[in-house]
Amino acid sequence: MILKIEKIGLSLEVEDELLNKLLEIGKTHYPKEFGGFLIGYYSENNMHLHITDTILPKKYQASKYNFERSTKGIENELVEFYAENLRKIYIGEWHTHPDNSPIPSATDISAINTIINSKKTSIANPVLLIIGCSNTTVDFGFYVWFENKLYKYE
Amino acid sequence: MDKNKHLESVISTHQITKEKTLFDKYVKKKNEVKEALEENYGSDLYYPFNSGSYAKNTAINTKFDFDLVSPFKRNAFGSNGTLKEMYEDVYYFLYEKYKDVAEVKKQKVSIGLEFYADSDGDVIKIDVVPGRELSQDQYREDENLNLYVYYKYGNIDAGSERIKTNVKAQINNIKDRATAEKDSIRKIIRLLKVWKNTKYIYPTKSFFLELITIKAFDSKSITGSIWDKLETVLQYIRDNVTKESFTQKDPGNSSNDLADTLTSTEKQQLSDDMKNMLERIEENDENLKTYFPENTKFKKEDTNNNQYGKNSGMPIPPPKLNFG
Repeated sequence: MILKIEKIGLSLEVEDELLNKLLEIGKTHYPKEFGGFLIGYYSENNMHLHITDTILPKKYQASKYNFERSTKGIENELVEFYAENLRKIYIGEWHTHPDNSPIPSATDISAINTIINSKKTSIANPVLLIIGCSNTTVDFGFYVWFENKLYKYE
Repeated sequence: MDKNKHLESVISTHQITKEKTLFDKYVKKKNEVKEALEENYGSDLYYPFNSGSYAKNTAINTKFDFDLVSPFKRNAFGSNGTLKEMYEDVYYFLYEKYKDVAEVKKQKVSIGLEFYADSDGDVIKIDVVPGRELSQDQYREDENLNLYVYYKYGNIDAGSERIKTNVKAQINNIKDRATAEKDSIRKIIRLLKVWKNTKYIYPTKSFFLELITIKAFDSKSITGSIWDKLETVLQYIRDNVTKESFTQKDPGNSSNDLADTLTSTEKQQLSDDMKNMLERIEENDENLKTYFPENTKFKKEDTNNNQYGKNSGMPIPPPKLNFG
């Protein structure tokens, strides 16, 4: 699917297959939260983002309302994606909100701020995907941090 | 060039909702023709219906296909009446009725009405497809019809052949798949129609392109971006349409092979066109714009130049992050 933020003109594309995969992984951890790293690449004009893959954390702690992941053990995967022709890179994070809507919490906003303030991370516009899911419903919320504000893709 | 972005723009600028006024004119004209047929043929005619691309959810706004299928009763033209007589009768009726306001043409299985441009310069085209039930009252049961072939249609000879089919089954087959798989089948069909529309006259019918697209999706796993999917379908057509063993089953009658609606020369032309297109796009992305042009009438210029921030080197995620 292709999503856009009309107001700022940025768009992203993500395959249904990847979304289904993230949802299935998220469901196996239900009712606890779970998440991972989003991998993708920007178009030549840097106005379009294509999210292609995920890396799952090897180390994490989770409860129904909290998810903490570590980067330990994912370094090689990051390097492998970067070595591909399209130079796929870390572009953001995803996590689930079990039995809840895909709206960013204060902790999520704080995490985004940590990303943009991390010198090693060097991405100015991290993307956040939240999957709100229950036994019967699913809702995806994609957000990007742009000029000190979080925008939702529609 | 971002091929996916371009193709998405091609699809969005060809959305039928963008030409609402023209579309409404088509619907109005189609209803007028339908009412004229009903008034003239009375109880000899079942309910005429639209079988064009709008009915199948695969329409584009640069060419509205409005095909008005007119199902006649078996004895509408006498118990010994032929399909040819049916076709000629409908032609003469439409000719007399519309000769002053439209060009009325005999076509492969239909009669084409091309209304002269109105004050806005819009030309409305409606194709009337006369069909007759196989035996008295049988249409109510199974909706099968015999169509008359006015002139040579691929390998189907003029006059000597009749096509037995179920138009409603044809519509539903395509509509169901195009609606259920709107990010894949529907988009690829619309793109192929945009390509076909770049050619003045092309022997391959849109109906054939719709069905071969569905067949491609059924024959192999087609995934990835919109360009990945389009490329795979183009390759499928290139590699398969000329094969001796290639068949294209009519969803309205499994005994009909729609591959017969193209001669071997026309199939070769289709395959060669796919080959050339793939090679030219491979040489230069920009050629995609020639084969699949946006509808410039509805092209929105980007009003801002915002970009995702450029990164230098490989970004490393922060070692620990907490989400709630």
